[in-house]
Amino acid sequence: MMKALLEPKMLMTIALMGTIVYITYLTKRNATASDFFVGGRSFGWFTNGSAIGGDYLSAATFLGIAGLTFQLGYDGAYYAFCFSIGLTLLAIFVAGPLRRFGAFTVADFLAYRFHSRRARLVAVAVVLAISGFYAAPQLLGAAQILSMFFGTSYEFGIIFTCIVMIFYVGIGGMKGTTINQALELWIRLGAFIVMLIAAMYSGLHYDKILAAINSFSGPITGTSPYALDGSDINFDGAAWTGTGFYFPTFWQTISMTIGLALGTIGLPHILLRFYTNPSAKAARKSALMAIGIASAFFLLAVYLGAVGRSIFISGTASEEVMRDLVLGGNNMVIPTTALALGGKWLLGLVIAGAFAAIFSNLSGLFITSSGALAHDLYASIMKKDITEKQRVIAGKVAIVILGILYGVLGLLVKDASIGHLVALAFTVAASTFTPIFILGIWWRGMTEKGAIAGLLIGLGVSMWMIFLPGTLPSFLQFKIPGIVTVPVGFLSVVIVSLLDRKVPADVNDFMKRVHSKESETA
Amino acid sequence: MAEVGSHDYEYVEAGTINVRDLPPLDATTNKIMKDEFTTGFGLTVFYFILIFSIPVMNWFAPEFAFKKIWGGMTITWFVTTVVMMAMAFIIAYVHTALYEKRLKKYEILNK
Repeated sequence: MMKALLEPKMLMTIALMGTIVYITYLTKRNATASDFFVGGRSFGWFTNGSAIGGDYLSAATFLGIAGLTFQLGYDGAYYAFCFSIGLTLLAIFVAGPLRRFGAFTVADFLAYRFHSRRARLVAVAVVLAISGFYAAPQLLGAAQILSMFFGTSYEFGIIFTCIVMIFYVGIGGMKGTTINQALELWIRLGAFIVMLIAAMYSGLHYDKILAAINSFSGPITGTSPYALDGSDINFDGAAWTGTGFYFPTFWQTISMTIGLALGTIGLPHILLRFYTNPSAKAARKSALMAIGIASAFFLLAVYLGAVGRSIFISGTASEEVMRDLVLGGNNMVIPTTALALGGKWLLGLVIAGAFAAIFSNLSGLFITSSGALAHDLYASIMKKDITEKQRVIAGKVAIVILGILYGVLGLLVKDASIGHLVALAFTVAASTFTPIFILGIWWRGMTEKGAIAGLLIGLGVSMWMIFLPGTLPSFLQFKIPGIVTVPVGFLSVVIVSLLDRKVPADVNDFMKRVHSKESETA
Repeated sequence: MAEVGSHDYEYVEAGTINVRDLPPLDATTNKIMKDEFTTGFGLTVFYFILIFSIPVMNWFAPEFAFKKIWGGMTITWFVTTVVMMAMAFIIAYVHTALYEKRLKKYEILNK
């Protein structure tokens, strides 16, 4: 027992958990709803920039992007590039105005813009849909790590992670969540940097490994004991380094680019982070810092995915590494590559980093969704006359409900790809909230009916194209259907608004508020 | 206007107005919006041209895109995974720098 506890992976994981518990304890005092939902709007650009990075760079980035590159080669790297676009667009069009607006939740934006309960209610449904899409693959990643490196069952992994999240977010609120997210980001970045150094030290230079992979064609030695058909896995390096390996047509590639590029603007847990800054200036600086961190992360993730593939085809890796690369599938390349590069200590650091990624992102989703349930649904619609303390309690109860809900979703996606599921969440966000925020901030003509129509049609079309592609003609079947769903979302808002024409009488005041000069709002 | 996030702001009756009868925005807000949108839109168009040039290059000029420039590193791999990562930050930095510059200009005008 004692020996098992002294294993590096156990020590690192225990150290991470201990730090989370300590920070959560220090930040447990959440007297007001502002403390609980937006951390008292007290976080500067460095902490908040790190936390945005922590929130954005989920398991999909830490595990999924390297996994997609390992599996799909250039098309996987292209995924990473598409994920990197969104934060920049968010910084340009939304970050500053959103902070000047300064609410508690994403749905507040619609409620305030239109003085509308209906708009708030629809926004809550969309927040929960996107968060569900996003939370399920994070839980999948957590359960797979626990299963692969600690020998627990998939179901145990899901339940354990949900319990940790309920404690972590339920007690710490946005304050604890933000500080933990910022810290967890640097753990992950540290793990990636150590892996980069270890890979370079081993002579795995980018140009050399890409050349080796490109020239490889045939069976990969040492994979047969773990392959389903009992024979070595065949690999075509030239196809891996080219395009068309996953996205078979030009239009499939364009569709994914649109969905992922515009998705970030509509991700509720990222939007919410801009409410926690003390000023619009700090919000813009936070966004800039998060973009810098994210760019470095994506670059490293793709490189490490290529390193994993290089180790896999080299035939020199240990049996344990070969087994994990075959059985772990595309999601476990980073931990396995760490084991190959630096042994148990580097693996320990990476496992802690992977948990940090998952906890960080899940905590953002929990706090956002709890805001939707407790603030938007309960305190603003069902029971308006409650005290600050009761609103905080409602937030905590919502977190328990969400823990159960997300846990069930996690159990349903056991065999899915983390990166791909997250990409679908981006597409739903791009087709629903992105049109609402861009048009709502920049176009006075958007009406309540237009916004509600945009949200419902964008959500409905996205769900249809994702879950029922077989009902569509072949030219409309996209792996990531952004090319159809995003224009549909925008057009629905514009067409219905133009037909309706009834805008709130105080829309000019709203525009003045979100676009006013810094000194008037900060 | 009630505080955002307070209990009473969202259902304060504001009424509705036909968008054609809407009074124009005040000159300052109008100028700030126009300036910011022009900058953002220009940068976004530039960024999207770069973004979409990659799949166009890959699918319609594969010989050029997959030409090796450094070991096994092809042009498109380098642009997609290195240049464009830096570009995301550069675009955001230029936007922030231009915004700060405009703020200073507004302050001088106000004085």
